[in-house]
Amino acid sequence: MSNNGSQPTVTVRVQRFNPDIDKKPFLQEYRLTPQRDTTILDALHEIKTHQDGGLTYRRSCRHAICGSCAMNVNGRNMLVCNVPLRKHLDRRNRVTIRPLPYLPIIKDLVVDRSSFWEQYLRIKPWLIPPDDIPEKEFRMSPQEVAALQNAEKCIMCGACYSACTVVATNKKYIGPHALLKAFMRVLDPRDATPGERLKEVGTDEGAFRCHTIFNCIDACPKGLDPTKAIETLRQLAAKRQAFEAARRERQKSLAGPVPVSE
Amino acid sequence: MYKTPGFISFALRRITGIALVLYLFMHIWVIGSAVGGAETFNERLNLFQQPAFKVAEVFLLAAVVWHAFDGIRLLIVSQFKVTDTRASQFYAVLVLAALVTIAGGVPILLFMLNGG
Repeated sequence: MSNNGSQPTVTVRVQRFNPDIDKKPFLQEYRLTPQRDTTILDALHEIKTHQDGGLTYRRSCRHAICGSCAMNVNGRNMLVCNVPLRKHLDRRNRVTIRPLPYLPIIKDLVVDRSSFWEQYLRIKPWLIPPDDIPEKEFRMSPQEVAALQNAEKCIMCGACYSACTVVATNKKYIGPHALLKAFMRVLDPRDATPGERLKEVGTDEGAFRCHTIFNCIDACPKGLDPTKAIETLRQLAAKRQAFEAARRERQKSLAGPVPVSE
Repeated sequence: MYKTPGFISFALRRITGIALVLYLFMHIWVIGSAVGGAETFNERLNLFQQPAFKVAEVFLLAAVVWHAFDGIRLLIVSQFKVTDTRASQFYAVLVLAALVTIAGGVPILLFMLNGG
């Protein structure tokens, strides 16, 4: 990043922590001269390449689809690969980058996401199809597909999970990420086990532990709405048996032969 | 803590909830003394006629009002799944709670100042 004379220098403060050396995390400052379109990830690359090779962080696709680079910037969780650095400077021309909060730090900006994945696996995020598999396709309606579309966009970045106040205080809480995926499977007419799923998430470690704080919505880089999904799960959990019966009925037409038009 | 209006709302709900429970114990302690006769009851009630407690009553009103309106907000969010307007909801509850607290708190303070 050369200084072309027109871009001011900024200060990038990065939280560092090496568990082998440091007693506790601390902020280290670096000076950069970013271009107008330099992203925060670009800045981290610049620091690692030219100033401090020991800086450790996760990144992969660099176009906001893999979810690896979720971090906390100026107190807000976001993906740093598609966020302009200059957009997040404070009045003193600084930006502060920390790892995702409420998760154990492995090193610098890399956190231990074990609890995140454990809760995700807990809700069985794969489709459990009925015994009656169609020859060609499951005939879902456009409305049924539309109901799942937002939840399908989730890239499992962890921004919502680590922004959640309930996660911070209760590690048994399933979390907004897993509840959103559970919502997707419960509403999927191809799934044969909505009742079991609702039994798992309709508990005080699941949908009923949410305190409607909305941090998950604020943090999501894809603009998803886990809170709405959780509210839906609560309502469905309250009428689980009726929902199960309706699913069994729906699946009769989902995979059966195509009705012949007269 | 990840600080947002939603977090502030949650924190205030917790604080006001705990405050209301503590108030409830005090209230039962005072009102329950009626079984001991008028003298006992008046003695305990007079403890809370000090100006400091009159000011505390205004804070109690604020706690009740905030807790109630925020609770109604949660019921609306839960029933109608209105998450898009979450920031506006928070500020609406804040303004409404402030207005009711002022409307109820001013007479309390005036009564205290007039030696009531």
